[in-house]
Amino acid sequence: MGEEAPKLDMSTFLLSSIHDMKNSMGVMAAYLQDALSDRAETAPEARRNTAQALYEAKRVTDHLVQLLALYKIDQAFYPYDPQDHALTDLAQEAMGRVVDLAEMRGIELTSDCPEALYGWFDHELILGVVVQALHNALRYANSQVRLAIHGHEAGVRIRIEDDGPGFPDFLLAQGNALERGIRFETCSTGLGLYFAAVVAGMHKGAGHVGRIHLENGGDLGGGIFMLELP
Amino acid sequence: MIRPAIPDLSAKHILIVDDYEGMRGILRDILGRAGATRIAFATDGREAIAQLERHAFDAVLCDLHLGQGMNGQQALEEARHRQLLQPHAVWLMITSEKTAEMVTGAVESRPDDYLLKPITETLLFTRLARQMARKQALAPIEQAMRDREYLKALNLTEARLAQANPHAWDLKRLKAELALHTGNHAHARSVFQEALDLRDLPWARLGMAKVHFLEGQYEDARQELERVTKGNRAYLEAHDWLARTLEKQGDLEAAQSVLVRALLTSPHAPLRQGHLGEIAYRRGDLQIAARAFQRHVELARLTPLKGPDPYLWLSRTHLALLDMDGALRPLHELAIDLREDGIARLLSRAMEIPVHYRLGDRIRAEAIAGEVAGNLKAQANELPPEALLDLASPLMEMGDKDTAEALLTSLVSNNHEQSEYLERAKAVYTQAGLGEEGSEVVDRATQAALDTMNQGVKLAREGKLDEALELTREARERIPNNPRLLLNHAYLLIAWMERYGRDISIAMEARRCIETVRRLKPSEKRAGELLAKLELVGNDFGG
Repeated sequence: MGEEAPKLDMSTFLLSSIHDMKNSMGVMAAYLQDALSDRAETAPEARRNTAQALYEAKRVTDHLVQLLALYKIDQAFYPYDPQDHALTDLAQEAMGRVVDLAEMRGIELTSDCPEALYGWFDHELILGVVVQALHNALRYANSQVRLAIHGHEAGVRIRIEDDGPGFPDFLLAQGNALERGIRFETCSTGLGLYFAAVVAGMHKGAGHVGRIHLENGGDLGGGIFMLELP
Repeated sequence: MIRPAIPDLSAKHILIVDDYEGMRGILRDILGRAGATRIAFATDGREAIAQLERHAFDAVLCDLHLGQGMNGQQALEEARHRQLLQPHAVWLMITSEKTAEMVTGAVESRPDDYLLKPITETLLFTRLARQMARKQALAPIEQAMRDREYLKALNLTEARLAQANPHAWDLKRLKAELALHTGNHAHARSVFQEALDLRDLPWARLGMAKVHFLEGQYEDARQELERVTKGNRAYLEAHDWLARTLEKQGDLEAAQSVLVRALLTSPHAPLRQGHLGEIAYRRGDLQIAARAFQRHVELARLTPLKGPDPYLWLSRTHLALLDMDGALRPLHELAIDLREDGIARLLSRAMEIPVHYRLGDRIRAEAIAGEVAGNLKAQANELPPEALLDLASPLMEMGDKDTAEALLTSLVSNNHEQSEYLERAKAVYTQAGLGEEGSEVVDRATQAALDTMNQGVKLAREGKLDEALELTREARERIPNNPRLLLNHAYLLIAWMERYGRDISIAMEARRCIETVRRLKPSEKRAGELLAKLELVGNDFGG
């Protein structure tokens, strides 16, 4: 090999691999979904396992999508495009993405969003954050998950609550650190949270910046994920 | 609320365009659950266009990637360009990720919405229902725009905005674009400013920059555009405007690097490749220019807007590189790709003259010149300025002064306000040792154009509208592509109608003049103003 050996461009490999994995996960999720709708020949135990596999497949897909988006945001070519959207549309689409999973897990999923509430945001990014929070809530909930959206000061507040055991202390701490704008570089489980914080922070307006907040309690008594957009 | 309401699609005619059979089936099944029965399919762009030619669809679901040939974006552009879609028809583009092409692009090339995979029932139903409602509400405005009644469209937009409605920002954006189109920059500026006061919105900043650009405030435009592009290289349209602005400011090197950056993000834009080619050519960066023009030719081949320009530029660039095969090949391709276009055929033959002449085969060049000289003289007004200059120079040097003079006179008469062309026309004479004669010919043609304008204005001032019109109409026949003359002529036609009442053929004549100026000089504000005036004359659309 000469001196001019082509340089390995890791980011190109990573990007194309992430795309490829994302597509494969999509196919896998579709098969699992088919298997679950085929009620005739599945024992309850097998159904539960398949539902779990589907949840994992969706979780991996979420993460791959987030990795791609974070890479693009970091390299300044994410097509960030805030527009004015109806929150009911956002709620419907988010619910549509998780409703099957909720049914399989036997969890009651409700949403509450006033008509004619509008917000300025990048639809894909915010949908990504909300769906991920719903997936997470469905994973830990005992029997209920609720998506509640309300007007808040000049912007909107999106809450995802469950009746599970709540967030462990270290996650609450991480969430609050991010909320205060502290970056942490070495964190094994924080991708989703980091993504949510970055996305929230991209939304600016009228002197305010979007933010996330984690807490436990509320009406359902479990974890509460909150996203505020100006 | 868990499952969203299912829209009623039973009366809707829907086209599904996807190269993958499985996907067509999935989409059909989902639509079927909403009662859709009138569903047609296409597997590629060509088939989609064929379907759109035959049927009036209410909605099109189209995958962005369609394998070989046209992609979804090109199919959409062709459908819009040829008005194959009804004003209320919805076009949803299906794609696997959000990319730069999806934001802040020009309105006419944007689909109504993008659907990111995976396509679920909820996603499809909510987006389809939302866009169908939106397009239904905007259909009268769209119709007015298609009828080129921009003031009427503006009035309809204002009327809708006066009521509370869910599409307020859509309408405001539309309002700003209509205002720009009709030369009302202040109006457009106020909408963009209102948006910017609310949020740092890239489209509003881009709009503001466009206003600065059109007003000739290039430094202000550059600053706004750099704020958009520095933050993000996904805003491709802003890169295009920034390159144009830098070019106006004379910074070709910076313009080139902006275009290179935009093409890294999105290489499949023919006009951007062409723009890069021209700038690189002017900088003498011929390898880059050749590559860009080659891409322009290949990409434009698939679009409805192809013309001879990229082929000529590619040939010109290879000639500058002294590459004979490279210079002749695009000319042969031009003759094949645009065989139904007489001017393109003439150019494909005539442009061999400079190639052979410059590369030493004078005999061959003279033979071709003898063959096409008559046609060149007859059609000089229809040829692109660069081609006129490319041809005049070898013709002059080979001694065919007559033809060369006809070409240069046409160039000067049609572009008497562009000093760059006047200088280059003179340079052709100087190179042949005829500097003095050149100055005379160029000055005479310039003066003749100016005299016509002045005479027309004088007659109009004296109230002799008919005489003024006769003069400009006759001049337009001789020099059909002079923007100033066309604007004057259109102005007189409108003034005539203001005095004697609206007349359909006069109105059409005025419209054709204005549209030619739009094509020749897109940033001419006067064209928009006259368009608005033309619409108003004798028209009462009770806005």
